[in-house]
This record gives sequence, structure tokens and C-alpha cells, in this order.
Amino acid sequence: MTRPVPDEELMMLVRGGAGEMLGVLFDRYQVPLFSFYTRLTGDRAASEDLVQEVFTRILKYRRSYRPGTAFRPWIYKIARNAHADLARRRRTEVEFKPEMAPPILPNDTTAASQQEALLYRALLELPEAKREVLLLSRFQGLPYSEIAELTGCPVGAVKVRVHRALQELREIFVRLGGGRPTNNKVAGVNHGL
Amino acid sequence: MDCDRMAKLLPDYWRGALQAQDAEFVAAHLKVCPACQELVALGESLAELPPEQPSPALRERFHAILDAYEEGRDEASQRVSGGLGCGRNRMWARPAVAMGAAAVLLVAVGFLAGHYQSGDEAAHAQQEIAGMQWELTNMRQLVVLSMLQQDSASQRLQGVNWSRRQPKADPMILGALLHTLRYDSSVDVRLAALDALSRYGDQRQVRQGLTEALESQQSPLVQVELIDLLVAWRDGSALDQLHQIEQDKNVDPAVRERARRAIDQLS
Repeated sequence: MTRPVPDEELMMLVRGGAGEMLGVLFDRYQVPLFSFYTRLTGDRAASEDLVQEVFTRILKYRRSYRPGTAFRPWIYKIARNAHADLARRRRTEVEFKPEMAPPILPNDTTAASQQEALLYRALLELPEAKREVLLLSRFQGLPYSEIAELTGCPVGAVKVRVHRALQELREIFVRLGGGRPTNNKVAGVNHGL
Repeated sequence: MDCDRMAKLLPDYWRGALQAQDAEFVAAHLKVCPACQELVALGESLAELPPEQPSPALRERFHAILDAYEEGRDEASQRVSGGLGCGRNRMWARPAVAMGAAAVLLVAVGFLAGHYQSGDEAAHAQQEIAGMQWELTNMRQLVVLSMLQQDSASQRLQGVNWSRRQPKADPMILGALLHTLRYDSSVDVRLAALDALSRYGDQRQVRQGLTEALESQQSPLVQVELIDLLVAWRDGSALDQLHQIEQDKNVDPAVRERARRAIDQLS
């Protein structure tokens, strides 16, 4: 397998003025960032605006990227700031609004997609800070060390937050009628009794 | 309480970073504790949520911003320096400029290598040469990778041709060429990529890539060239694919005949 050019090297080229190289970074990050934003805000149009804003800021502040800085936490830091600024501009906290939630799917859809829609709804009912840490950790798969760097919390505190957010998510999920969460892998453990 | 211990262990459990003893505890606890089972199930479900796809408009908007930025940079640079030194920001939009820059760098390497013969100066020059050669390799690599992604087929063709200037096999460029061979929409570009790859019969990555490309290739022209090359390399590992092609009634008869002959030669 070939080794892709590391994000950091591409960003150094962008920093040096090779704006075109940002296209490669855009290809790598547009879907993860858009997914992060849609799960965070429940608003697809705003999420596209936010992804665009992130890349605009990268161009604008490219010189603030220092050699040796890990790119992923850096771009997520920009992403969080862009989101916080948008919320401030709107003068309303971007929080769950029922009309944002996807509709509960009709009964004839698969159980898996119903569970997924419920999980999405439950996520949107979580307080934003908890939703964010859960998304970064479980959905985006960022290492705890990177989340710690992003949020300015010690790694231990991040782990505790993730766990508490997950507990709260479970309560909401059950309340919304999703029943007891199950998953094949865990069910497999159970069947092993 | 066991659930409290689980709370501490779960974050590392997700990452597969538990010590053996802790992993055993988690597995045992999950068998008897429905509450922790639910938490783990929920955490797994979150990780498995499918990614959301943005609309194609997002990419268009991004490119509009990039274009505006590059135009703005050009104008600003021209105002400041009369155009000198502003090429770099547009370099990748105009690969010809990058080729020129790489050529200049190449000449500079040659000059330094020939100019200093001995002593401290030579040691210093050696360092500079090493640095420039590294930069040159990176620049060539980036030019090729950038050009192979262009929308216009003629630019992608240029990218393939530019890849031939690489003195040694570069795994990234070979990977990009193999990708082009498999997926490029233009037959001409695919043929050129195959031709560029034909120099690397000694690379396992290339031989394997060609065999894989044979499987998915639709154009009879490219299929025939691929088969001929594999025969020239005496690569018997492609025999399975060749048999499949020979028996596939949907494949062009001339290609099937070529495959049959190749099987005879390679068996």
C-alpha cells in the first residue's frame, strides 16, 4: 500500500502558499467534519456553511499553523470555534429543537434504521457539551489525548465526561422508546453465557 | 462496585487499550451486568453510525473560495513584488510552473555538485544538495499527484508523463499511477499510465496492481496491453484472471484470444 502524504505536510505547503493542496485536505475532512456538525447541530444547511467556514479560516489563518502541530486537533479546534461563533452570532444557543430531529421512521423500515434514527434523536437531546465530547470520542474516533488538547481538559476528565455523557444518552434513548440498547457484538457476549 | 470499575475501564476498552487482566474483568462483567451491556451497545452503535454526506454544492463552494483566494493572492503579490516570487501560490494550479521550478532546482543541484570539490565547502554543499534533492523529490511527487487529479484528461496525461522523470520508483507515485490505470475515465490516460508502469516490472506492488487492474478493466485496448505486459514479465500470478477473461463471454473476442495465448505462454 502507498503512504498518503501526511496532513501536516500538506498543511505546510498550504501555509507556504500552495492553496491548491488544501483541496486534498478538503477531500479528507469534508465528510468527517460535515458528519460531526450534522450530529452536533441537527441542521444540514448550517453544517455545510460551517464546513465552508472552517476551510475559509484555514486559508485565512494558515500562517498560524506551526510546524510540528498535529493537523487533526488543529482543524477540529477551528471547527469548534467556528461553531461557537455561529451560535454566538445567532444569539441563541444551538440546542435541540424538535423540528430539527429526523422523523421517527415508519414501522416498515428495518429495525436497525429505526434504532439509528432514535439514537440520532437521543443525541440531539443531550446537552451540547456532552453531545460534542461523545461525538468526538465515539463517532469521530479521536483519541482522548486529542480531545483533551481540544477542550483544554486533562485526559482523565475527558474519559469521565465521555462515560457520563454515554450514561445520559442511554437514559434519553430508553425514554424515547428505543428500548434497551442492544448491539450484535454485545449480544454475542451475552449469548456466550 | 464492579460497575464503577467498568466506568473507569470502558474508555480504554473502546480503544482496545486494556491490560489483559482488565480485559478479562470487562468480558466477565459484561456477561452478568445488563446496564453495562447497554452502555457498551450504545457506545458501539455510536461508533457505527454512518457518515453524513454533504451535497456536491459544498465542493463547488470550496473551490470558489480557493479560486478567489488564489486570485486575491496573485493580485496582492503582483502589487508588492511586481509578480516575482508569487508563482508558488499558483504553482499547483499551473503544474507547468511547478515543473519549471523543479527543473531549476535540478539544475541547482547539478551546479552545487559540480562546483564544490573539497574541504568544508564541499561538506556544506553536500548538505545543501541533500536538502535540495529531498525537496525536488517531494516537489516532483506533489506535481504528479496534483496533476493526476486534474479534471482535464490532457493535464492528467501530462501528469503521467511527468511521473517518468522520477529517477527511482516512488511508492506513492506508483500507487497513483495504478489508481489511474484502474479508474481514470480516459482510455488514453489509462494506456499512458500502463506504459509508465511498464518500467517497474521488478516492483511487487506494480505486478500485483496490474493483475488487479486486469480484473476490472473494461477497455479491450487496455486489456490487450495489460495482458501483453504480463506475458513480457512472465508473470504467472495472473493466470487465474487470464482464465476468467478467456471464459467470460462478455469480453471482447480479440481479448479472449489474447488471454488464451497468454495462458499458453505462461503455463
